[in-house]
Amino acid sequence: MSELLKVKNLKKGEIIREIGFELMKGEMTAIMGPSGSGKSTLLYNVSGMDRADEGEVWLGGQEIRTLSEDEKADIRLHKMGFVFQQMNCLSNINLIDNIVFPAAHADRKRQSEYYARARELMAKFHIEDLAERKINEVSGGQLQRACICRSMIMKPDIIFADEPTGALNQSSSAEVMDAFLKINSEGTAILMVTHDSKVASKCERVLYILDGEIKGELSLGKYTPDNAREREQQVAAWLTGLGW
Amino acid sequence: MYRRLILNDFKNNKLATVATCIFMTVNAALLGLAVLLFVNLSGAIDRLMDVAETPDFLQMHTGEIDESKITEFACQRNDVDKMQICGFLNIPNSRIQIGDKSLDGNIQDNGLFCQNDYFDYLVDMDNNVIVPSAGEVYVPVCYRKEYGIVRGDLLHIGSETLTVTGFLRDSQMNSMMASSKRFLVSREDYDRLSSIGSEEYLIEFKLKKGSDFSAFSTAYEEAGLPGNGPTITYPLIRMMNALSDGMLILVILLISVSILLISTLCIRCLILTGLEKDKYEIGMMKAVGVSGRGVRRIYISKYLILSLAGTILGFLTALLSATPLSAQMKELYGDAGKQGLTYIFMILGEILVEAVILLSINRTLKNIEKAPTVSILNGLGSFGKKKNLWMPAGIITAVSTFILLVPLNLSSTLKAPGFVTYMGIGSSQIRIDIRQMDNITTLSENLDKELSADERVSGFTLMRTGSYRTVMPDGKSVNLLIESGDHGKFPVRYSKGTYPRTDAEIALSILNAEELGSSVEDSIEVYLKGTDGSTTVKSCRVCGLYSDITNGGKTAKACFDTAEDATPVMWSIAYVSLADESLAGNWTKEFRENHVSMGEGIKAMPISEYLNGIYGGTISTIGKASVVTTILAMVVLFVVILLLLRLLIWRERSDSSLKKAFGFASRDIQKDYLKKVSVAVLLGIGLGIFAGVIPGQFIAGLFLNSLGARGFRFIINPAYVFALAPALTIITAFAATVIGLLEIKTIRAFECLR
Repeated sequence: MSELLKVKNLKKGEIIREIGFELMKGEMTAIMGPSGSGKSTLLYNVSGMDRADEGEVWLGGQEIRTLSEDEKADIRLHKMGFVFQQMNCLSNINLIDNIVFPAAHADRKRQSEYYARARELMAKFHIEDLAERKINEVSGGQLQRACICRSMIMKPDIIFADEPTGALNQSSSAEVMDAFLKINSEGTAILMVTHDSKVASKCERVLYILDGEIKGELSLGKYTPDNAREREQQVAAWLTGLGW
Repeated sequence: MYRRLILNDFKNNKLATVATCIFMTVNAALLGLAVLLFVNLSGAIDRLMDVAETPDFLQMHTGEIDESKITEFACQRNDVDKMQICGFLNIPNSRIQIGDKSLDGNIQDNGLFCQNDYFDYLVDMDNNVIVPSAGEVYVPVCYRKEYGIVRGDLLHIGSETLTVTGFLRDSQMNSMMASSKRFLVSREDYDRLSSIGSEEYLIEFKLKKGSDFSAFSTAYEEAGLPGNGPTITYPLIRMMNALSDGMLILVILLISVSILLISTLCIRCLILTGLEKDKYEIGMMKAVGVSGRGVRRIYISKYLILSLAGTILGFLTALLSATPLSAQMKELYGDAGKQGLTYIFMILGEILVEAVILLSINRTLKNIEKAPTVSILNGLGSFGKKKNLWMPAGIITAVSTFILLVPLNLSSTLKAPGFVTYMGIGSSQIRIDIRQMDNITTLSENLDKELSADERVSGFTLMRTGSYRTVMPDGKSVNLLIESGDHGKFPVRYSKGTYPRTDAEIALSILNAEELGSSVEDSIEVYLKGTDGSTTVKSCRVCGLYSDITNGGKTAKACFDTAEDATPVMWSIAYVSLADESLAGNWTKEFRENHVSMGEGIKAMPISEYLNGIYGGTISTIGKASVVTTILAMVVLFVVILLLLRLLIWRERSDSSLKKAFGFASRDIQKDYLKKVSVAVLLGIGLGIFAGVIPGQFIAGLFLNSLGARGFRFIINPAYVFALAPALTIITAFAATVIGLLEIKTIRAFECLR
């Protein structure tokens, strides 16, 4: 596998002291750590939403930290997908419009093509019947799956997910993780911040952050439903060893 | 999708959408209205003056004239296109009666006139030149409403009767500020009735295009041609025509500018409140890769739609409200023609005002780009500066108080008794004019005796006006209308220096001083005619300058000794004050009855009535404007305080929720806001009162300057300024605050925990 994302000596105030890691194409990595350890800040700085004080962030061979805000926005639009804990959606349009929104903004002429793709994605995640619903007319899990569809609409290289299951109950959480696994199996890399060891255990690799530094790394290999229980136990034991 | 996004946004934020649309509509309507009225008024005046062929130079004269001398002068000059001398048969007002209403008490010099042959035509309501038949009379249109005249009414002049056949527009004398009014009759009737009145002459010239009016005026004067009455030029006639309705346009424009300022501030508040509500969504859009500029474009397209709606609604509102407002204008001056062009100007004006609003909106929306994505995505941070919101509340209160006070102060000033002194009229209670009499001097002496003997009269002074030849320091010779008498008794307001105390002093009206290039301390040579017919030259020092509206604004004041000066008196005026001011009306009535036998040339009237004749329309316009501006200012204040408060509450929602979580009651939080609003409002009122009196005086001064009053100061009504205005402002602001603070009750204690 070739390298997709490379982070070198990244620093941001007192929150991120110095962090460096790589993410391969198609890899699914979780970032864990206690509250205030700098997980989300790392995600925002790596994805270019925020600007780190020092260091380098390379995506597909392009250094993005030093780009202008508009250039970074363009990269986020075309090469990255985002899923947030709060399932932020536009309240004035329906579910399918929300999914198409970033793509339509990128290229309005291809709207019909994007709507067709949005329907495909919705079908894949079993929410095709909810296309015309308003965002307050669906459950949290359904809405988060719609957000995953939105993140996939531009066929990005990587998805950044910040506590994607943090606001969901167990069954919704499982549905959302299934969706992520499906995406990942099709080749999209995922970098996910999570508090949930069960969620983390479904990733290939887990990075543990404390006080703005990576304190540990656990490689788990590709997830299969057969070894789920073992992986969960392995992650739990590893975290306990790190003082979690 | 964008269409759905915007339409649903309108649906879900009805209050903000409607409020923004109203602001845009009001702005477009006000500016559209001002443009419409301005284009219509100026177009109608130009059209009327064009159709009527208004003279370029007009000299009034009472007494003998040598027609051949004037014709010779005209022939010698190559800038004269046409000339004519027309008679104006001045009829005493007490002898004119239309239907059952007498013109006695009317302040205008009313008289009969025959249609001209070459130019200066009197036209009918369709702007066609009128040719009356015998027995017919056409009445100035400005009297139609005032006296409720209809076609077919009978006009009685003494024992003679004429039938009102129609109404006329007089391009020269339509305005109430012009002191004469012409009734059009046939030549036969004019000649038949000539014994009833006294004839004056209008010596009129139509100059070739591009001629210099003032050069012609000087040449006319230097040629020593008849000129003991006012001189009027085309621009002056145009200005007088434009003034009364122009004031209304100016008031609308002033309000329009103030509303524009307030609207941009209000819309800014609405936008910022909206952005605060949409914070998470904006954060999401920026996070998924929509650039700040892209998000801004989505919002700006929403305001473009509202702006377009505002322009269309404003256009329609302006058209609808223009009809009643331009009714008087249309009656006096007719149609402007070329309505298509008017509409284009209106739309251009509205586009301009909407562009100003959109630019300000765009500036506010730039906050979207500045806001850090991560912060707003997580519900932190805010758009625009957070600290300064109380300052706009104070400023809006100040602006509202200002808008409220200026027309109120202007109105109280115009109504105040002392105001006349700015206009070149002494502050007495009654004015008695003796004009058009052969024996003015004797009559004046009799009047002097009579007033001295009247116990009710607490003070009076008699002035005589004559035309004097004078030589300026630069050797230029001009004829000046000089009013001689005791000017210390009821002094006018002098913008420089003071009134003449000795017979070697002279005060000049500002217009005269400007035209003659003289100032205080200059010396002027005045030629006095002695009782023996000899002429003496008196050197007079210019002791003061004053503003004047009488006699075309070109007057002078002196106190020549009657033993030394026997210059023929053209008219005489007595200024009278009574011990009991309330008797002025009755005293005047009694005086009129007692002097019917003394002749028709004596006119007595209370100063208030005199001023009402000249400024009644203006005072009433300002009065109406002050009611409208008061309502407008209070509505604006109410809306803005409400919006600002809502914005603040939205911004501090999380803090308020936290307070509730700690155990604060809604009332505690409301009290805190109320305190802050009170400070901002009270400071704003203080600032508004100051601005309404001091800079407001400057703005009002610009108005009054155009009316002829210079060096103007407000005569304020303390009850209005220090009690009524603050009370209204406080009540309005308090009502808005109470309603705005209801929002606090909707904040839940758990919101801060989300």
